[in-house]
Order: sequence, then structure tokens, then C-alpha cells
Amino acid sequence: MFGLPFETTFLVIAAPALIALVLLFWALRW
Amino acid sequence: MEFNFEMMAVVAVYFLGLVAVGAWASRKVRTSEDYILAGRNLGFWVFTILIVASICSGMTILGTSGLGYVTGWPTIWEQVFVPLSAAVCLLLFGTKLHAVGRERGYLTVQDYFADRFYSNNGIRGLSAVTGILVSLIYMVGQFVAISMVLSWLFGISYHAALMISALIVTAYVIMGGLYAVAWSSLIQGMMLIVGVLLVGPAVIRSAGGLSSINAVLAGIDPNFVQPWFPDWYPGAAAPYAGYAFATPIFLVSFFFLLSFGLASAPHVINNVFAARDAKYFKWAPLAAFSVYVVVMYLVKITGFAGRAMETEGQIALPSGVSNPSDYVFVLGAEHAFPSIISVLIGVIVLAAVMSTTDRLMLTIGTYFGWDIYKRFLRPDARDSTVTFVSRVAVAVAAVLTLILAWSNPPALLAWLIWMGIGLMLACYVAPLLAGLYWRRATREGAIFSMGLGLLGAGVAGYWYQFVHVLPVHFSLYGFALSILAIVVVSLATAKPSEEVLDGTMTGPYIRKRQARGEGGPGLKR
Repeated sequence: MFGLPFETTFLVIAAPALIALVLLFWALRW
Repeated sequence: MEFNFEMMAVVAVYFLGLVAVGAWASRKVRTSEDYILAGRNLGFWVFTILIVASICSGMTILGTSGLGYVTGWPTIWEQVFVPLSAAVCLLLFGTKLHAVGRERGYLTVQDYFADRFYSNNGIRGLSAVTGILVSLIYMVGQFVAISMVLSWLFGISYHAALMISALIVTAYVIMGGLYAVAWSSLIQGMMLIVGVLLVGPAVIRSAGGLSSINAVLAGIDPNFVQPWFPDWYPGAAAPYAGYAFATPIFLVSFFFLLSFGLASAPHVINNVFAARDAKYFKWAPLAAFSVYVVVMYLVKITGFAGRAMETEGQIALPSGVSNPSDYVFVLGAEHAFPSIISVLIGVIVLAAVMSTTDRLMLTIGTYFGWDIYKRFLRPDARDSTVTFVSRVAVAVAAVLTLILAWSNPPALLAWLIWMGIGLMLACYVAPLLAGLYWRRATREGAIFSMGLGLLGAGVAGYWYQFVHVLPVHFSLYGFALSILAIVVVSLATAKPSEEVLDGTMTGPYIRKRQARGEGGPGLKR
């Protein structure tokens, strides 16, 4: 996708998404 | 760039706006708490954007796109780790520091260290002097970046640009303290976000779109589209090219350096005391991270676009400067827009630089006025004197920085700035984490941790710059030493009193559950 290898595409999207999920979890557990 | 009147007018209006904010804020400053912490009265968005704008500097904008130009995708992790530092600062450090700070009346993070490690002079002095030193180093870098951009955009001399920008920032920081810094950061943060959202996609489009950019990058070096460069240590003496430093093991050290080092930076962490309400720490980590990561990804990809455009002959980087890649953001934007709109670029970079510079200046002023003057030299000083001394210290810091930045980019500038962040990681992170979450951490452990951390990072930094390239970022050696020191020395010295530990909410939890008859203070939550 976007002319990038699958591994790169996956990591550059998954990493920030995972962090955002953890921070969302923190807010919802407050 | 040709000098033009409209551009000067836009920047003049922007500068006048900042001075107006300073004048408005100066009327709200009555006590030293108003000057240093905006009366602990910042609302949610002012507070959240202040955290992001303090971290996000002019070096961030120019350096991020420049690094994208030089290294391609393997350093995209910097744009994950830096926004993460805002969340680490808010969640891991800020939630508890804000709660304890409000209860015990802290004005700076040194107040916390002095309280938790029951040492008014030793640890306060070490922490404050380190904070002033790294903030000064950092500020020189900011001023060089600001002057570079201003002189490029307006065709005025580097020194004229330096004087103008320093005068404006110094004026509103002296007038309004954190009130002025926070509200001007809101304006600057908004301009930065809107500006990058407009400029980024336009530059990427004018370079032919993301797929086309990546095809050009892969043609230059196939590793440019990989998530990291191949490992070289210990098989080889150095990576295959100077730009191929971002190997998996290096990226691990980069994670600690950025996500924890920046989160503990004096100009970032002291903001947590200024939030009006403890509830802000619920959503602020997600809000700060999300806004920041989108902006940084766009800036980075703008750097990739610049590399593709240069390869295809659409733009040419300046020759005869020591850091041509730092101009890629400005040049890419100039190519994508007719010249009149390029004033926008100048304002974006200016906003980013000034929103960090003002916070650094205020940090130096308050560390001197509060930690050194009031808490060390003259404990009986009147409150109005403390504010006055802080303001004088801001002015002195500005003059000192001007002198250091006067000789246009010192060749060691980039190294100095990395040194600054590296020293923060090695000095503050272990005592902060151990102080907040480990009841066994002692005064002696904290002092040894800070001292050995600084020493380790200093030696490794010197080694990396002047002796031989290292497989991980040099600050990691100092950080490892500081962790080792606080664990070993703490276990070898007397346990802190229960009174201190309970008063500073020390223990393996982030937030004390409200007293509703459920759960105890030891609950992880």
C-alpha cells in the first residue's frame, strides 16, 4: 500500500493506533 | 525569497498579537504562583496544547522533515516516540505530580524532588542547575533555527532576525509569565496545526502523491522504505552509510531518549502543575498524542516529498550552508504554493520555535528565581521579589543565549541539542520513576543516580562525537547507570520515613481512588 512494503505500512499505522488504544483505555477506566 | 510588504505585514500582526497577549497576561500576574504556574488555573485545551507546543519546537519542524529527507522511512519512529512523550509526561509523571503538587504547594519539579527525597539543597541544586544548563543549550538551538528561517524568508540578515525574534519572545515572557506563554502557545499551536494540515498534503500532492514518492525513495536506497536499517553491530565497525543509523537496537535507545527523556524535560514537565483540574489527566494524554502524531507524520512525509522532488529536479537545496536538509520543508512548501502563501510557512516555523523558546526562557527564569534564589539563597525573600528576580533571570538568559547563538550555526549545534535531551534522560527519569512509584528509593540513591547519569551520558556523548560511533544512542549508557545507581544505592541506605512516602503519594499506583469506601491506596489504578 502507498508503494511501501507490507511490513512498513503495517508498522507505521499499527504503532500509533496501538498507543492511541492504550490511552483510550486509560481514559475509559478513570 | 524576495522581500515583500504583505509578508512583513502578516508577521508584524502576528508579533503584535503576541505582545498584546503578554500585556493582557501581565495584568493577571499578582503573585509568584501566577507568574510561574499561571495561578494553577489553565483550562483543558490551553493546558493540553501547552504540553504539545512546549515539546514541539522549530527544530522539530525543520529537523523532522530534514531527517525524513536524509534517512527515509526508518526514522518514522521518531514521529511515534515524540508524541508518545507528551502522553508519558501527562499519564506517568503528570497525574501523580499534579495531585501531590496541589496538596503540597509545589511550584517546580525541584520542589517535588526536595520533598520526596527530603533534601532541600543537594538534590534541588543538582536538578535546578542541570535544568538551567540543558534549557540554555536547547534555547540556543531554537534561536539559530528561528533566525535561519526569518533571514531566509525576509532576506534580512541573520543577526537582525535573531534580535527581532529574541526581543518579542523576551518581552511577553517577562510581562506575563506562564499566563502569556500558555495563551500564546494556544495561538501558536493552532497556527502550527492548521498550517501543517494545509501545507503537508499540498507538498505531497505536488511531488506526485505518496506512492510515487515512495517509488523514488526506494530507487535511491531500498532501505528507505523499510521500517529500519539493517543491524551493523558488532559485525562491522560502522553502519554502511552515515544515514543508516536507525537499526532496531538503536531505535530501542531512541524510544527511551525521546519518550522518557523529553517527557522529563524541565520545560515540559513543570507544566503539569498548572492544570486547573485533576480530571484533565483523564483525556489529555490521548488528545495530546493524537493531535501531535498526525502533525508529525505529515511533516515527516513532507520531507520524503522534498527528497523525491529534489531527485526529479523540481527543487534544489541551498549550497554553502552547513545543514541544507533542514531547508527541505521551506523549499517544498515554496514549490507547492505561489510565493504569497509561503508567508504561511514562515509563520508555521515561527510559531513552533517561539512556543518552545518562551517556555524554555520561563523555565530558566523560574528555576533561578524560585529554586536558587528563594529556596536556597534567600528563604525570607518577599513574594514580589521572587517574581522580580525571575523576570531579571529571563532577561539574562535571553542575552546569554543571544551571545551563544550570535556566530551563525555552530557546527556542533545538532550534537549539543542531542546532548541536552540525553542529559535529561540520564538525570531526571530514574529519580522521577523511582520517586513516584518505589517506596524504597532514598535520598542518597537519587543523588547518586543524577550524578552518575550525567557523568555517564557526558562521557558517552564525548566518545560518540570525538572518538567512535556507538551502536545505540549515547544517552542510554548514562540512563542505564542512573537506574543501576538508584537501585543499588537506595537498597544500601536507610529507608525513607513513612510520613514522607505517604505525603508524596509514593507507591506502585498512578492515581489514588477517590474515597468511596472501595479499594485502598495500594490499588493499581
